[in-house]
Amino acid sequence: MDALWAFLTVYTQLDLLALVAIGTFSGIYVGAIPGLSVTMAVSILISFTFSWDVYPALALMIGIYMGGVYGGSRTAILLNIPGAPSAIATAMDGYPIAQRGEAGMAIGVVTVVSFFGGLIGIATLAVAAPLLADFALRFQPRDYMLLAAMGILLVGSLSTGSLVKGIFAGALGLAIGAVGRDPLTFTERLTFDLDLLNGGVSFIAVMIGMFGVSEALAQLHHVNVPAIKQKIGRIIPSWGTVRRHLGLGMQTSTIGVIIGALPGTGGDIAALMAYDHAKRVTKNPEHPFGKGAIEGLVAPESANNAAVGGAFIPMMTLGIPGDAVTAIMIGALFIHGLNPGPMLMVDQPDMFWFIVGALLAANVFMLAFGLTGVRVFTKIVEMPRAVLIPLILLLSIVGAYAVNNAISDVYWMLGFGVFGYFMRNYGYPLGPVILGVILSRLLDDNWRRAIISDREDLGRLFWGIMTSPLSAVLFVSVILILVSQTPVWGWAKTWLTAKAKA
Amino acid sequence: MTIPPDTNHHIGTSDATPGGYAAARRPGERAFAVFLTLGSLALVAEAYGISGFEGLSAPGTVPLVVTSVMALTAVITLAQTWSLPRIADETIARDILPLNVILFVAMLVGYALLLRPLGFLPTSALFLILAIKLLGRYSWPYSIAVGLGSLIGIWLIFRVVFTVLMPAGIFPEAELLQLFRDLSGGAR
Repeated sequence: MDALWAFLTVYTQLDLLALVAIGTFSGIYVGAIPGLSVTMAVSILISFTFSWDVYPALALMIGIYMGGVYGGSRTAILLNIPGAPSAIATAMDGYPIAQRGEAGMAIGVVTVVSFFGGLIGIATLAVAAPLLADFALRFQPRDYMLLAAMGILLVGSLSTGSLVKGIFAGALGLAIGAVGRDPLTFTERLTFDLDLLNGGVSFIAVMIGMFGVSEALAQLHHVNVPAIKQKIGRIIPSWGTVRRHLGLGMQTSTIGVIIGALPGTGGDIAALMAYDHAKRVTKNPEHPFGKGAIEGLVAPESANNAAVGGAFIPMMTLGIPGDAVTAIMIGALFIHGLNPGPMLMVDQPDMFWFIVGALLAANVFMLAFGLTGVRVFTKIVEMPRAVLIPLILLLSIVGAYAVNNAISDVYWMLGFGVFGYFMRNYGYPLGPVILGVILSRLLDDNWRRAIISDREDLGRLFWGIMTSPLSAVLFVSVILILVSQTPVWGWAKTWLTAKAKA
Repeated sequence: MTIPPDTNHHIGTSDATPGGYAAARRPGERAFAVFLTLGSLALVAEAYGISGFEGLSAPGTVPLVVTSVMALTAVITLAQTWSLPRIADETIARDILPLNVILFVAMLVGYALLLRPLGFLPTSALFLILAIKLLGRYSWPYSIAVGLGSLIGIWLIFRVVFTVLMPAGIFPEAELLQLFRDLSGGAR
């Protein structure tokens, strides 16, 4: 009963509902405008909402998250430029459909399947998280440690880039998170004897630098990309079109939830994997993939919104972020003095049910705004980048400054912005850095707890891992992720196939 | 996994598509790899200085392991990058660090330097107008109008909705707000 009331909080308090609506609406814009991403918006928002209560702050962020993941499809379809990372797969078929003159239909289908995927994600969150939370109470420190390591490795191994660079990025994040006084022994760590570093590096400055400044600098490369106008006809899709793809949507939403729920990986990776899945299972598409297949829209767009609900599962039950945005939200909860994890689920289940309620509201708003506000949304996309980029940079500076009223945070932000810009240019993923920063404390604490309880004996720790089913599974996964990316994997495969043939 | 077509000039847009090229080296990539390697090694030395090899639960253990992983992966990346063929048709000046990027970084540093002495409103006005003028090549009146207009919008949102306090500097911000309050029906 209490859970129901908590779930309904957002619907009974009009100001919270309005915040979700505003968040979703602006989220769709943020997603639709190339150069503005959800991760950027949420990291800048933290610093503006930290004086608020936690519910309104979460309501706004959840709206932006849901809307932003969906909004990227707009520009992907209309301009062939994914407005948000999660829409990278959408452009491949969305734009050819728009060129055929069916942009309205494409937007309609995307809106409906996004809503559908979102629902599946939220439903899974509502069912799985409470179960998992009970189970999570039995997690040992070593399991947390292994999960954190797995999250950082997964991003690199599931992306199109290099795992080695992904691991570097994650380790860098962990190192940044360790800077400052050790919370247990008060020893200075990685401070190079500078007073400035004693208090650690503000993770908000790192985030805004990596996702705000570096993105804005990257956008400077194409200030003058002309916008191509597409005709938009009927938007609300026919029930027949939706029904025909519901089966595929179900499968790809499941992929989305799973990828979202895996620590570290979010909507962008889910969308690509779902696209691959659709290519494999669709036998006779009306139009081939890459040339305007509707299946190529249904798959990534249902998966990325399903990943939103999925990403909250490890965040709420374990305190381990499901993707970069939930990593930032964990940071936001820290600022509000809350520590996400199984204890939060037990002590304050209201918070969890509030989040589920807000996600559902955001999903409904997304459907409503998506199907009605098309013309408004296409207008704002035409906002010239020459104005947009300076505004992003100004917001980034204000955001970094506002949290601690410290100019040094602005310099950190600039430094990480420039560094992140180079990382982007040379193929280093940025998500693992943020994951690392957020997970650093958790990994360090749990490592020390684990090794102290095993009396500083690696052999005992290893024995403990191998004799506990959960730890063993996690440990083997970590090893498999690593091995799958080395030449050893290829050798093993050729050896096995050769043996099978003989 | 399907690799989506590059729409962002090989600059990473997400974790799924981190940018760069798979089988080639961009200009400056070697130098960056060297920089990361040296930086990581410095961090390893610093991490060792925390508590050495004192024990597995010592405060320095995790930093030492983490920075060693950084150094190891940096060295592997350096070795891989070194042997890759360089992309022929890219230059640092055009593709990695074009004038615009350098200019904007310089302007941001300038912003940070001026923020305290000048205050938020004058510094931001200066920054926005200059940036919009430089990027868009608009006329001065247009740049000033757009810059000031959006600044007023941002300032209202910050002060009213988010109540963020920025350095006031030389501009009589508080007095202005008070004036508006008085005009709109006395002090609240």
